[in-house]
Amino acid sequence: MAEIGELLVSAVASGCIYGLMALSYLLIIRPTGVINFALGEWAMLGAFAAVALGSDLLVPALQLPHFVSLVLVIVVIAAIGALTEILTVRPLIEKGAPLLSPVLALLGVLVISLQVGTLAGGTEALPAPPPFGFRRVELGVFAGTPQAFYVIATAIVVFGAAWLFFERTIWGKRFEAVAINRRAAALMGINLRAVGLLAFGGAGAVCGIVGVLTSGGSGAFYQMGLPLAIQGFTALVIGGVGRVEGAILGGLILGLVEAFAARYLPIPSSLVLGVPLVLLILFLLVRPTGLLRAREDGI
Amino acid sequence: MRNAVCWGGALVCLSAIGFAMSSYHLELYQKLLLVATLAVGFNFLFGISGQIAFSHIAFYGIGAYAVVILTFKLGLPLAVGIVGGIAVSALLAAMVAIPTTRLEGFYLALVTLAFAQLLLVALGAGGELTGEDEGISGYGLPDFFDIPLTGAAYTPVIVFVLLMTLAVILRLDNSYFGRACRAVRDNPTAASAMGIDVARTKVIVFVLTSTLAAIAGMAYAFVNNFISPPIFELDRIFELLFMIIIGGTGRHAGAILGAVLLYSIQFLVEPLVGKFHPLIYGFVVVLVILFLPKGLIGVWDDIVARRRRAAAPGKPS
Amino acid sequence: MKNPILRRDVFAGAVLVAAGLFAGAVQAADTIKIGVITDETGRAAFYAKPVTEGVLLAAKEINAAGGVLGKQIELVVEDDGAKPDVSATKARKLVDEGVVAIISNSSSPATQQAQTVSLSTKTPHITPANSGETLATKLDNPYFFQLGPLASTQIKTLMSYTRSKNLKRVAVVGDNSGLSKIIAGVFEKSLKANGIEVVASQIIPIGSRTGVPQMQKVRAAKPEAIFQAGIVGPQMAQFFQAYHQLGMKQPVLASFNLSIPAYLKVAKDLMDGVAFIDAYDPDKERTKTFIAAYQKEYGSVPFSLPGYGYDGLYFIVDAIKRAGSADREKIRAAMASTKGWSGVMGAKGSSVNLSATDRRGFDPEGAVVRLIRDNNHGPAVHSGTK
Repeated sequence: MAEIGELLVSAVASGCIYGLMALSYLLIIRPTGVINFALGEWAMLGAFAAVALGSDLLVPALQLPHFVSLVLVIVVIAAIGALTEILTVRPLIEKGAPLLSPVLALLGVLVISLQVGTLAGGTEALPAPPPFGFRRVELGVFAGTPQAFYVIATAIVVFGAAWLFFERTIWGKRFEAVAINRRAAALMGINLRAVGLLAFGGAGAVCGIVGVLTSGGSGAFYQMGLPLAIQGFTALVIGGVGRVEGAILGGLILGLVEAFAARYLPIPSSLVLGVPLVLLILFLLVRPTGLLRAREDGI
Repeated sequence: MRNAVCWGGALVCLSAIGFAMSSYHLELYQKLLLVATLAVGFNFLFGISGQIAFSHIAFYGIGAYAVVILTFKLGLPLAVGIVGGIAVSALLAAMVAIPTTRLEGFYLALVTLAFAQLLLVALGAGGELTGEDEGISGYGLPDFFDIPLTGAAYTPVIVFVLLMTLAVILRLDNSYFGRACRAVRDNPTAASAMGIDVARTKVIVFVLTSTLAAIAGMAYAFVNNFISPPIFELDRIFELLFMIIIGGTGRHAGAILGAVLLYSIQFLVEPLVGKFHPLIYGFVVVLVILFLPKGLIGVWDDIVARRRRAAAPGKPS
Repeated sequence: MKNPILRRDVFAGAVLVAAGLFAGAVQAADTIKIGVITDETGRAAFYAKPVTEGVLLAAKEINAAGGVLGKQIELVVEDDGAKPDVSATKARKLVDEGVVAIISNSSSPATQQAQTVSLSTKTPHITPANSGETLATKLDNPYFFQLGPLASTQIKTLMSYTRSKNLKRVAVVGDNSGLSKIIAGVFEKSLKANGIEVVASQIIPIGSRTGVPQMQKVRAAKPEAIFQAGIVGPQMAQFFQAYHQLGMKQPVLASFNLSIPAYLKVAKDLMDGVAFIDAYDPDKERTKTFIAAYQKEYGSVPFSLPGYGYDGLYFIVDAIKRAGSADREKIRAAMASTKGWSGVMGAKGSSVNLSATDRRGFDPEGAVVRLIRDNNHGPAVHSGTK
């Protein structure tokens, strides 16, 4: 029983990371329909930024307290997101280019981000100091590292904020309006540019948070971007791209399936890596819209 | 008849150049020809038929592994290995294509990506048969009438694969099928309304181009007589995609131009820009998408069109 | 009046030009070119770069002492990005530039593909650090010599270190990188051949966010010791975090990958007491000299990796001296008859021995076991397989 408690904490923590990545995809896909595969690299940049700001590696002169560097990283990566929107996505959308063009341009941004991250951060795994240290924390039957609980708590806060944003704020309504019908939204006076900017900036902010959370765990690593991008996308496909709740649901399902398969599936370890891939393929083939439907369907 | 002479001439010329090169340039040239082959096929799949598939390099790998495993691990004759490899590739391609006809855009990209990653997992767990992570080496082609097919003497095989791929793609493009592919790319609903079987078209294109990639992979297997999983990894699909975009999406000449530029530049400018070349490629791709959506071949087209207009003023453009 | 161009001026000019050409030609023949294939940008960069640094230091020293056969060494360094395909192409480039030998510092698959070139061009080719078990045997390449400690030597050394513990049930954990899987495979085979049962064999995949499920499986199998074959940084951190978090206490015995200090950063304070294989004993006399020279040149303390590269170049130069010429065939023959050569790497008293039929030079008794203490690599506590 204690084992399941440990496994659940670990699985949920991983699932929260996947869910956060899925959320950042969602923030962009909902209003613009654009799939931004560069998000994984933005998380990587956030991770290295967290290392540079919070530890004595990379930039020895700088060793800021955790929450200060968290805020700074969020700002920096959000800015990268916003800049990307202004420079590469907005011109294409306003030119009327097919939806595929910004997606491809973002693949270029992916390569740029990856290269910049590798050149700046190097090819070693670098840790940022975990804000609550490392030890075994037990909450009843659940056990994990302080970092794992911190990840879960942060995800709850972020998803709570995202849910409030979409359900309760005027900007969230604007996002939904643009998602439902772009032209109608523009005609109603919604500033499409502002929505696009906010979408990309918001996605960047969430990626920054993921970067900070991962750098305090297994460190910033120049090759962490692509797996995160794939995991986030898988979570999105599983949960459904229509709602915030879908992102966290998909993330948790992926995290739990991965963890329980690795622990209990009687197949050789070298084949367990295939499980998330099979899950992705299954959902794409059988239910590409995911488990949760968007609000407007079925009203 | 004239056509055959043209193709034959191209085969001879492209092969003969190899003999004049140093072994380094020859190796670059041979690998470049293979990359160009991949680009032409991928351009038809992505540029002309509108399918973003991240599995193209995986099929390159399937072809290479199939011919090597069948011929050198299972001991079958080379001809059987080649035909068997083609059959295996076509079958796997069909298995991927048929269930995924409903998927569009990036969703197709991700499912094909997942398939490519699964392939790497399988290769890595295949034991002695696939050589796992150490790869398979120590094999080689039998002599062709006492001529060892190595070095410059192997170039004709690669050129043949390139020209064959080009011929097939051109033939397909200039037919009703080619127009159907473009129709499906631009507006599947309208294409369906026009009587085109969208699903069937997509599957045929995917299977065909993937098999052509597999054949190129077979040719690759004998360039260094060594294959291993890292050769078929994800970064190469991004490179291939960028080649098509920068060269000119949807244009055969664009695909070849993109392949030649991106492949050779990374070796030629290395002394100047060193490890920055992928960064430069990333920027160039973004700039091309923003400002030159028709790619570099589009620039060439404009120059040619302007010359024509200058030569015949007064004619409606 | 215009200055006429006198015949003697033309003649003088011709002599100068000829002298320049001749000097250029003499200059070219004045150096002995040795090629180095390294990884600057890819997945092997974090270990290839330090190895190459060792090669550069050795070249500087050798040249300062007059070079070899009266000529200076000229290193030609190429980057293959750990891509096996590119590695072969770069090997060809090096051969075309006239190198007499190639040093491969990149990943094992890259070295393997580069071998297809050294075989067909008959160029002496060494890997100072690659431990790939079949590198020197899979492709019957008489020009290739492997100086790195084989995985089989590593596990035998670890087994002899733990002999007093009388291990019966162990676990092997790694990641899914090529090198880790190769090392894990050899470890398992060797353990089983020695009557030790591998009760759990787990892989923490690259891109994974945690090592808990895999380590739970290991814990449930109740091994007496855990052998670590991994190399990828984040997964190594996840391994040690899970190990501690799950309250595990078994001794951890690691491959030579842990001789890279990088893990001490990302798994800080989590590796105390871990035993690992190294081919580098900082207490050995020759090694002490190397440490001093390296500190002088780079200002930091070296570890195993630069030592490999340093030895690699010295080995080649020794072979050239014994061959008495820069002829590649003679160099190969000299390499294949190396007996009792020793450098920075290897336990005290170990030596490199090669023959035409066995081109794996690392002394089977030459590995040492070191412990990690206080986030540092401690001294050697065991050596060899006896």
